[in-house]
Amino acid sequence: MTDATAGGTKGGRKDPVTLFERHRAEMLRARRGTTILLGVLFVGFTLWSAWISNFTPQRLAEGLPRIFEYFQTITPALEWDKLFVGRDASGDAVPGSITFWYTDFWKYMELLGVTILMALTATMLGAGAAFLMCFPAARNLTPNYPVYWITRRFMEFCRGVPEILFALVFVFMVGIGPLAGVLAIAVHTAGALGKLFAEVNENASLKPVDGIAAVGGTWAERMLLGVFPQVAPNLISYGLLRFEINVRSSAIVGFVGAGGIGQELNRTISFYSDDRVLAVLILVVVTVTLIDLLSERVRERFIGTEST
Amino acid sequence: MALSLTQDQITEVRASHPDAFPDRAQAIRRWVPWAIALAYLLWSLSFFEFGKLLESSDRVLRLLAAFVTWEDMATWNYGRIYAGILETLGMAFLGTLLGAVGSLFVGFLAARNVVRLAAPRHAVRRFLDIFRGIDQVVWALVFVRAVGLGPLAGVMAIFISDLGTLSKLFSEAIENVDKKEIEGIRATGAGPLKVICYGYLPQVAPVMLSQTLYFFESATRTATILGVVGAGGIGMIIIERFRATLYDQVAFVVLNVLIVVAIIDWLSGRLRSTLIGR
Repeated sequence: MTDATAGGTKGGRKDPVTLFERHRAEMLRARRGTTILLGVLFVGFTLWSAWISNFTPQRLAEGLPRIFEYFQTITPALEWDKLFVGRDASGDAVPGSITFWYTDFWKYMELLGVTILMALTATMLGAGAAFLMCFPAARNLTPNYPVYWITRRFMEFCRGVPEILFALVFVFMVGIGPLAGVLAIAVHTAGALGKLFAEVNENASLKPVDGIAAVGGTWAERMLLGVFPQVAPNLISYGLLRFEINVRSSAIVGFVGAGGIGQELNRTISFYSDDRVLAVLILVVVTVTLIDLLSERVRERFIGTEST
Repeated sequence: MALSLTQDQITEVRASHPDAFPDRAQAIRRWVPWAIALAYLLWSLSFFEFGKLLESSDRVLRLLAAFVTWEDMATWNYGRIYAGILETLGMAFLGTLLGAVGSLFVGFLAARNVVRLAAPRHAVRRFLDIFRGIDQVVWALVFVRAVGLGPLAGVMAIFISDLGTLSKLFSEAIENVDKKEIEGIRATGAGPLKVICYGYLPQVAPVMLSQTLYFFESATRTATILGVVGAGGIGMIIIERFRATLYDQVAFVVLNVLIVVAIIDWLSGRLRSTLIGR
């Protein structure tokens, strides 16, 4: 009570609460224009995008139950008592058992193997190309500006165009099969890794480079002996990281006919809606997760041993 | 001071720097991984019939020529192309927005310091792992089967995979908040909702905003691909014109997409620095 009267008698000017409130109101008023503008833009964009993508309540009400229905149809009808029953004498699997669900298990495994090898080959090819491009694309190492500019733009093109479009083009060029996928992923990898490698190079110390230049080393020797030993652990780590990403993409490029598990996945999703879809999906997710874990371990080891 | 080195000095230096001057066994051991990698690469490439590249060379040449020589530009349906690009942007925006709003709730459910019970938290996290583990394109294919061809499938695909990734990032941000502020709000007798509103949100909002903007950028890229499997947007136009062998138009559309993506990146960078002030 005394506080309140004291505050009242002292007047508004020195009262901290009034001061604070006045200051806050001023700040809000100053920012009101931007806030309103951003708000209106945001609401407008939301409404427009909802309209353009048919995101209406009635479309959703129609679609949502169908999503759940679809997930029901791709769930296998497993029965507990028959779950681990193998094939019978005539070689047929019993409905409700895992063997029945995964009838094509070995075919999937083979395709998954192809997918992983596709990713591995593509990563190596792409990393090789990126390695060649990363020195001219590093601002501090490039022999001259036009070379730098051209390499940079070329790499931007390589990583800007989605893999699946490259895959489309390569499928057209070399026919359906893993080669198209490998080439597509390799091109994209060259662009993406080239940029990362070049950034690593830009942070490398120039002293060894000057040293090699002083004893008369050529540009190639300066790069290979002066820069490469400094950046090698980083390059390998980025390469492995890219391998993880490429395993995912090599499962995707198959959608347009570029080989691997993606081709099978596309076929099962497009032509059947039964438990086969979930069977392939589970295998893909498990494989991708395992590769991630494995490559993480390898990466840690590499960085650990190289830096000590 | 001797300007030339004696043989003794050289051996001494060699012995004291084994890393720089490895003996033969070490040198071989160092090259083994590279040799294995190279052998694998050659082995795997030997499976591919590179002859095909040469065989189809005139088809390839025609394709490449069509990419750079644009003919009958007046007849190209520009309206549909730009409508497709706008549709792609709309899909990316709505998908990311829904994903971010969903993640706001799911992120709290998956944060260790908000939901103390382990069981529900782990259940939520495993679901997020599944959402994240399946690629966006596969989700798109699944949703095309479920809700039909068109942008709605793309929005759903972006929503689901963003929900998986953003929730994880949000929950990590929430787990890293400063506890003192939360305690302060709780000490005033605020309920759980008010603790979240005034304790957690002000701390995590900048992180969330900037991550959401990054995801919008990446969604504009992937939304292009989603159309290739039938989920609406510019991808559908690309694949339709590719199948119709209108390669010059494909090149034009892809070029436009690249430009739009670059503009979106720049805009979102500007917006990020205005909102977060960094």
